[in-house]
Amino acid sequence: MERRCVITGLGMIAAVGNSADACFEAVKLGKTGIETVASVSTEGCYTHLGAEVRGTELPAPDCDRSVRLCIRAAEEALSDAHLQGEDRAHAGLIVGSCVAGVDSLDRYYTEGKQDPSLIPRLFASSLANNTAAYLGLSGVTANIVNACAAGTMSLAYACDLIRSGEGEIFLAGGTDAFSSLAFAGFHALHALSEGPCSPFNHSNGITLGEGAGILVVESYESAVRRGAHILCEISGFGISSDAFHITAPHPQGEGQMLAIRRAMASAGVAPGEISYINAHGTGTAKNDEAEWLSLHTLFDGTGVSVSSTKSMTGHCLGAAGAIEAVLTVKALTEDTVPPTIFFTEEGKQTLAAKAGGLDFPANHCRARAMQTAMSNSFAFGGTNASMIFSKEAHTPKPRRHVPVCITGIGMTVAQDGQAPDLSMQAFAGRGVPLGFFRKLDRFSLLELASGKDALADAKLTITPENAPRVGSVIGTADGPIGEIDAFQQMICEKGPTAGSAFSFPNTVYNAAGGYLSINTGLKGTCATVANGESAGLQSLAYACDLLQGENEDVMLVSGTDEGSENLAELYRAMGHGEHFSEGSVTLTLETAAHAAVRGAEPYAYVAGYALAHQALPYTERNPSDDTVRKAADTALDRAGIDRAALSYVFAEPAVASVLALPAVCAADRIGNARAANPMHDLAQAARALHTDPNAKYALVVATARGGCCAAVVLSAQNGKKEEP
Amino acid sequence: MNKQETAAKIKAMISENLRIPAEMLTDDAALFGDDIGLDSVDSLEIIAGIDDLFGVNMTGVGKEHFQTVSSLADYVVANA
Repeated sequence: MERRCVITGLGMIAAVGNSADACFEAVKLGKTGIETVASVSTEGCYTHLGAEVRGTELPAPDCDRSVRLCIRAAEEALSDAHLQGEDRAHAGLIVGSCVAGVDSLDRYYTEGKQDPSLIPRLFASSLANNTAAYLGLSGVTANIVNACAAGTMSLAYACDLIRSGEGEIFLAGGTDAFSSLAFAGFHALHALSEGPCSPFNHSNGITLGEGAGILVVESYESAVRRGAHILCEISGFGISSDAFHITAPHPQGEGQMLAIRRAMASAGVAPGEISYINAHGTGTAKNDEAEWLSLHTLFDGTGVSVSSTKSMTGHCLGAAGAIEAVLTVKALTEDTVPPTIFFTEEGKQTLAAKAGGLDFPANHCRARAMQTAMSNSFAFGGTNASMIFSKEAHTPKPRRHVPVCITGIGMTVAQDGQAPDLSMQAFAGRGVPLGFFRKLDRFSLLELASGKDALADAKLTITPENAPRVGSVIGTADGPIGEIDAFQQMICEKGPTAGSAFSFPNTVYNAAGGYLSINTGLKGTCATVANGESAGLQSLAYACDLLQGENEDVMLVSGTDEGSENLAELYRAMGHGEHFSEGSVTLTLETAAHAAVRGAEPYAYVAGYALAHQALPYTERNPSDDTVRKAADTALDRAGIDRAALSYVFAEPAVASVLALPAVCAADRIGNARAANPMHDLAQAARALHTDPNAKYALVVATARGGCCAAVVLSAQNGKKEEP
Repeated sequence: MNKQETAAKIKAMISENLRIPAEMLTDDAALFGDDIGLDSVDSLEIIAGIDDLFGVNMTGVGKEHFQTVSSLADYVVANA
């Protein structure tokens, strides 16, 4: 029977309050946290509003503000769940974020580049690991960086990890601090509302917010064992990709509805069984029109209650989905629907006329007995995520337990010391037109090149029929740091009105995945995982888990990191003298059955994988020998083999010596391309197993800053029988 | 400033800010057509760039003035 995932603790901080209870009390009363912005300059801008956290002393002054918010919410969630001792120490942490630590980058430049210790706090990879280090959590970590859907997706990933056996208890949610980068970026796009945002009312823009939401997600068995109070179940979720536009949603809400339908299918509920929907409801015309259409199409006549709490919390970007998950769980457990605020009497009349069969509480909350509620999050890059919470027990459909193989390899890496060819001509040769090519930053170009090559190598064409069943997971250590750094420097130098509308979309970590989806047409689950050098291998593990669900047959899995001059300059300032290379390696991963039906020849099969983590700050690289052994031995154990069966081992020398195995690694050939290196090793392992008639198994192990470790075992033959 | 100089500055700005090869940006190439393929986000960048270069605010100005480098230059010369 498949494992149930339940919620046993809540933590939240936002402009409306400094605890989950205080936040829900304010939201229930329709109190907004939107005020004049104090933390960043808005000089010369057409609006000065935001929803900032004020009057609360945050812990950990040596961390980025996003981490401090995250720690604050996590401490509350740990306390609320009465999580102590070994249970707490073994808990994992999945954090969603959009802008990550750009507040620290802002400070670095504003203070005249005096303090290089601010730089490592910038990277999204640091968020979960620094939070885990502070709290002493040694379970698996990850940062899901799919912009405004990240918070919801983090909860979904925590459920996937519990079901794949990587842990029993996870803290999951999201965090984003108020930032000059996001303010200037949305200002440049003219996407900010002049007054306080009022989604589905005067849809003339968003108001940015900040905060963190953390939920304790654990297996039902774990909650029962430790006598925890179960608040509700995560009864289902669905993720999809629009494959439409980098910032605008599909106007007919196609991708949104796919995510919502997937969530309802996995929860086993019909539209009429959902009592409340916490809408994405940003307040932009494009979002509100598409979402309104999606909700009417799926829920008209059901009488479901809908609201957007962003009119009170502001749009907290990567934290939004997590904050709204907390508010949705509170709404469910307190049988109270929060309102959307800032409706005038005239606005209410307009609303009544267009609400039709939806219940839309304006300005005041509504008491409503409910069993099931939904939270929706839609993001830049076209990522959509929907999650369903229920008071009723729900046993999910069993995972498929199907074998997974590698059928395509795409490598865009340095060769003989030469950087990869990212010229217009190189992309024209891949069928990418100039109008698309010119939009992409370096990180996105690397990803698109290897992604398209992996699809071509697998001889897989995306069609309208298979598109929803093809997804991607992209792993990165540093993300699109060139674009982020250039944008931040520009606004630090010239002020908040100098943000570039052209480059702002590329500062989100999942833009590369968005462009890959738009260009190739894939519409399945698209996730971007920032988690140091082992993020590519972790992405493969995540993709394998997704292939065990019922929605995807094929996943593109990448390890990608750029070597821009901005990145090199930041690393030099941190005291790293070494040359940074760059690259992207993508593998086409599919179920063996899917490959067989279309006659694809596998390079190799995924026989086992495992993740391990030691609580270390992101400035420290090497997890302990025990952590490395744990990842490698668990992966071997899951593959059902011992070390003697290995024909090839790929790992850096320090890791190989811990395992007492002779190993080779990519760094000698492609330089230090961080997350791309272990994926290059994996590609080499797959090729070796394919060409060497005597080889049976290969092991790839990677470690990362922040104490992460991932191990993958590949086999030449399909050793697993398909379950019926 | 005459139209020719204005057009040259606009071309350089568009080429740099929107990553378009300079040789594709003739005075009369359709900016929003199939070849160059600009979109609404790009037009925001052009508005910001022209404001920066010439102090001319093109917010809310009719689409016909955004068709080509030449039509942008005409608008700037007439409104500078």
